[in-house]
Amino acid sequence: MGVSSRLALGELKDHKRIYTIIIIVIALTMASFILENAYLNYMVQVVDDTTKIVTSDAIVADPSTNLRDLYGTETELENAGEIARRIEQKLPGYKTTIRVTAQGTYGLDLEGEVADACTIQGIDPAKDDKIAGISDKIVKGRFFDEKDPVLRGHTPLYIEVKGPGNLPDFTYGAGERFLEDEEAYPIIVGDTAVKVHPSIDVGNTFSLTLSVSGEEKSYASVKVRTIGLYRSGTPTLDAMIWFMHADSLREIKRYGEITGKDWVVPGIGTFRGYNPIKVDRDRGDVVLVKAPAPLHQLDPVGHSESVKEEIEGVVPNLKVYSWHDFLVYIAGSMQDVITIMLWGSMVVTLILCAAAIKYVMDSIVMRKTREIGTLKAFGARDRVIFKIFLYQGLVIGFLAGVLGMILSLLVMYLVNMYGVSVEFIVGTQLKIGFLLNWLTILIALLLPVLLAVLAAAMPAKKAAVLPPVEALRKGELSL
Amino acid sequence: MSKNKKAIIKLDHISKTYNEYGTRIKALDTVSLEIYAGDFVSVIGPSGCGKSTLLNCIGLLDRASSGKVYIEGKNTSKSSGKEIAKFRGEKLGFVFQNYNLIPRLTVIENVILPGLIMEKEPNELEKRARTLLEEVDIEHRANHKGIHLSGGEQQKVAIARALINNPVLVLADEPTGALDSENSKEIMKLLVKLNEKRKVTFVLVSHDMDIAKYGKRKIMLKDGRIVKNSTNKLKNIRKN
Repeated sequence: MGVSSRLALGELKDHKRIYTIIIIVIALTMASFILENAYLNYMVQVVDDTTKIVTSDAIVADPSTNLRDLYGTETELENAGEIARRIEQKLPGYKTTIRVTAQGTYGLDLEGEVADACTIQGIDPAKDDKIAGISDKIVKGRFFDEKDPVLRGHTPLYIEVKGPGNLPDFTYGAGERFLEDEEAYPIIVGDTAVKVHPSIDVGNTFSLTLSVSGEEKSYASVKVRTIGLYRSGTPTLDAMIWFMHADSLREIKRYGEITGKDWVVPGIGTFRGYNPIKVDRDRGDVVLVKAPAPLHQLDPVGHSESVKEEIEGVVPNLKVYSWHDFLVYIAGSMQDVITIMLWGSMVVTLILCAAAIKYVMDSIVMRKTREIGTLKAFGARDRVIFKIFLYQGLVIGFLAGVLGMILSLLVMYLVNMYGVSVEFIVGTQLKIGFLLNWLTILIALLLPVLLAVLAAAMPAKKAAVLPPVEALRKGELSL
Repeated sequence: MSKNKKAIIKLDHISKTYNEYGTRIKALDTVSLEIYAGDFVSVIGPSGCGKSTLLNCIGLLDRASSGKVYIEGKNTSKSSGKEIAKFRGEKLGFVFQNYNLIPRLTVIENVILPGLIMEKEPNELEKRARTLLEEVDIEHRANHKGIHLSGGEQQKVAIARALINNPVLVLADEPTGALDSENSKEIMKLLVKLNEKRKVTFVLVSHDMDIAKYGKRKIMLKDGRIVKNSTNKLKNIRKN
């Protein structure tokens, strides 16, 4: 151990009371930083698991859409396939998938149950799952399988209906209600929905009425069978957002080439669509975009904005929404405000700690001028004196960082052990969790060290440059 | 002093001027002095005559405004701060009026401190420190904190500390200034013993004529000038 570190340790022992207080204050600040960051990381993870199911990193939609439509725009995005390819081509590393969406109502014909609403996301299981990650959230049943009968070969027999009275005309695909032998489309539903409607549990078949077009009023009634339940982490979204195969929805929405003749049913009318259909996989309602992973998770909002801007540069005439836009839409900007306030208070506390370290060391330098002079008389160079004070800052910062880490891990352990959760919207519970990443650990350990070293550097410099004769004289005077 | 001897310290026309509240004060005025190995020089004079300034210039704690300071023939006037610090650590030892022990360190730790600063091997330093503590008769307090020692004991530790790096010269600034007459005598006898037996060279500053008598040579300062540079005739004090 060098002479500077020996003397620094002695100084720390001499002033252990005041330094302990400083270490505890910094440690508490760092613990709150770690907990806040770990909670935010957890929330980001939940956001990954929920909003990103709907939007991935960003979503490209028709210009006529708005944020409300992100649950399921229904409106077709023209040239969706070409847009998806263009984004992948212009933005290296970006991945896209085309989705077909619809709004659904169910429970109309389920005895003893009230009707409820949902949003259907039509996904390409192989490609979409890699972008939005759904299969790993299946908690019961299974994900889509290649053998699933996702196509009927015809649309649900749309019939044009004249709107009664002042109501507008609409088309209604009701054919499957009449075709008892039709096999049901496979569907994955949120587990929260099943808690309210047990009759839609895995293995059950039920009827789903879909609103399948944004502008032109068009509805279809289709038979579906639940093959799996998924749980994302946000119960409200689980209740609303369900998944079908994109080709199923393409068929229902007539996104493809329809051949053959209309089907005339005497006494009822002419059904359109009960014809062989060849779905067009380039057609869809939105394009989901996944950007390359950011280098760090410190500024997820900033990253989402830059991703959005990149995509807007490629498709300037279309609507682009980031996952953060969607989050703000569903949760408001409260989370962002709280985050900013917490970061602000942490910065203020750390500045106060730095000021306290500087003040304490300044007073130590003043009281120790005779010692400094003596050391210089014995040949100590400025560097030796500088290091005595700098090492103190180093130890204070290191201990504060480690203590902060231990405190935060303890809180995380207790919260996890007792399974703390909070009331969320419509009586659902949101589990409080923490997700600690290496970057947070690194910052929590390095920031107090950096802060304490910087705070100590000023008095250390002052002590180091004291001329020996002056230090000795001042020291004598202060006796 | 013998012309055949080579001076270990040579001051060549050094002056030191301070600016205090706009007034120029000449603390040293073209002082020339040579100190030889084995010397015991007592610098005396009234308060404010420049004794401490002279000691600070010899000890390289302060730079002279003009003139040259030679240590073992090397001109230090143009040396860098790093070189000066090295000179101080290797060639010089210091004994202060208020002992200047580091209170939280033990006696032995205090003694080896200058050696540690010069990055010497700690085990070797400790061996040497124990020998020195025996010589100054304070070895039994080696593991006590400096702050728990009496004034006389602390000064003995300070003397041992000044010798740890085997300096060519030890500078003592009023070494008995904070001690009673008994302890003062004891300390001075110790310095004389070290000068006689170990041939340690001392420059001692004091305003007390009785203390100055212990030196082999007496230099009297007045208004920053050497007014008397004589060999001490009171040999009997040293003999006693």
